[in-house]
Amino acid sequence: MSLTLANVDVVYNGVIQVLRSTNIEVREGQMVVLLGANGAGKTTTLKAISSLLHAELGEVTAGRITYKGKDIANADPSDTVRDGIVQVLEGRRVLGHLTVLQNLMVGAHLRSDRAAVKTDLERVYDYFPALPPLLNRTAGYLSGGEMQMVLIGRALMARPELLILDEPSMGLAPILVQQLFETIGRIKREEGLTVLLVEQNARAAIAQCDYGYIMEGGRIVLHGDREQLQGNQDVQEFYLGMSGAADRPSYRDVKHYRRRKRWLG
Amino acid sequence: MIEFFQILIEGALVGLVYGLVAISFVVIYRASKIINLAQGEVLVFGAFMLWTFTEGAAGVGWDIPLPVALLLTVGACTVFGVTVERTIFRPLIGQSAFTIFMAGVALLILLRGLAQLIWGAESRSAPVILPEGAIEIGPFLVNSRLLIGAIFTLVLTQALHVFFTRSRLGLRLAAVAEDHTTALSLGVSVRQAIGVAWVLGTVVAAAAAVVLLSGSILSLEVAVIGFKALPVALLGGMESIRGAPLAGLLIGILEVLASAYLDPLTNGAASGVLPYAVMIAVLLIRPYGLFGWRKIERL
Repeated sequence: MSLTLANVDVVYNGVIQVLRSTNIEVREGQMVVLLGANGAGKTTTLKAISSLLHAELGEVTAGRITYKGKDIANADPSDTVRDGIVQVLEGRRVLGHLTVLQNLMVGAHLRSDRAAVKTDLERVYDYFPALPPLLNRTAGYLSGGEMQMVLIGRALMARPELLILDEPSMGLAPILVQQLFETIGRIKREEGLTVLLVEQNARAAIAQCDYGYIMEGGRIVLHGDREQLQGNQDVQEFYLGMSGAADRPSYRDVKHYRRRKRWLG
Repeated sequence: MIEFFQILIEGALVGLVYGLVAISFVVIYRASKIINLAQGEVLVFGAFMLWTFTEGAAGVGWDIPLPVALLLTVGACTVFGVTVERTIFRPLIGQSAFTIFMAGVALLILLRGLAQLIWGAESRSAPVILPEGAIEIGPFLVNSRLLIGAIFTLVLTQALHVFFTRSRLGLRLAAVAEDHTTALSLGVSVRQAIGVAWVLGTVVAAAAAVVLLSGSILSLEVAVIGFKALPVALLGGMESIRGAPLAGLLIGILEVLASAYLDPLTNGAASGVLPYAVMIAVLLIRPYGLFGWRKIERL
């Protein structure tokens, strides 16, 4: 097992509980997707794994988070990156006043193997051929798609084993989303990465994943492999928009139905 | 005409030395987002430490060679910078800007008291580190101490620029200057980076002390240079290393011009007021300074 969250609780400011007994397993080499409505606790789950909760006055108050057998709950973020876990934050967090090349090099700041860093830069250019002409551009002035390339490239420069992506397709045009997911799939295959993905674009994410979890109210309410998720009636209706709601006569009925999701029953 | 250019040269050299002090503000601000109001007192502390390892040590029979004394001063400044950061500003991370401002005021008063306690209130002469006198360059007479200080400022500025844009440690500091959470997500230790920035800021202030005070009178009053350099840092942009000496040039030249041509008409007030007036005027138009980081917003 690569990553395990066992009965994890996360509390912010000592009073606001966001995760309640969350259980997740991510096997080595898998792409695992985490789906859920806004406020379900997806980003908090990711930050608990990458040890970024402290920056927002949050902490893991119960349960265990282990990566390759090592307890990483409330660890130092730099130790977590050294362990091979790198998160790409949501919201295109490029270092806006640095150049694209400097952004990429910051990703490799913990590494001293200069030759390998150079090779990895070439690999990033291979995954994202649009980047080389932009290397001396200020990252804050790039387009959304270009920024996302910089962010994933920067994370790859840290040589991660577990890559955590938080809503990489946010705000991108459909064609870019498709290209992005294809590239993420290629990176996973070629680098042998384990990927944990939070994504609002459920259709694209489920199509790529090996396994998936659905979160609501800080809890995992459903999990299964790709076929199980794609075949689940609730996932089809609430995440893939495939059936059900459109046939119902009124919003009131839809609302009534939504209150009674089967997984909450 | 020669007199006019002589004034300009003098202003440029003095301005570059202001720029050197301003760099110490900028280095600390970039990492910690703290404007250390006590930076002038930090500079004076550096000068007193250098005095201790040179004149002071000689006074009790220890003749420490100058290079060793300089290294000891850098070491003492490092300890001093780390102590200030760890004991005063690190516990205040996440607190309001007003709390941090008041901590800066408290530090300023504390350092003045501490300096008086350790070294006494009397003025003393600072050790002569840089050559005194003036050198002739064509028709102009140039103060050799200020000339060396100005060259040192330019070299240091370029060195720091390369450090912040090329080296691994510098890029860590640059990442922290941009966004603490993003830096954390990349495994950068924000606390360590802030600590390094304070040490760097303190050592740069000590270097400025050497340039400013070599062979001059050393007293607590010298700390006022901090308040002269602060508008330079704000004008250059609080995130811009290269902006500081350029803003220093501007302020220095304006100051000596005002001193030469306006002070006789204003009872000597113009040269003191002008740097702040220029700073306010520029900040009204460019709140982030001439070369500071403009907030990039995407719609």
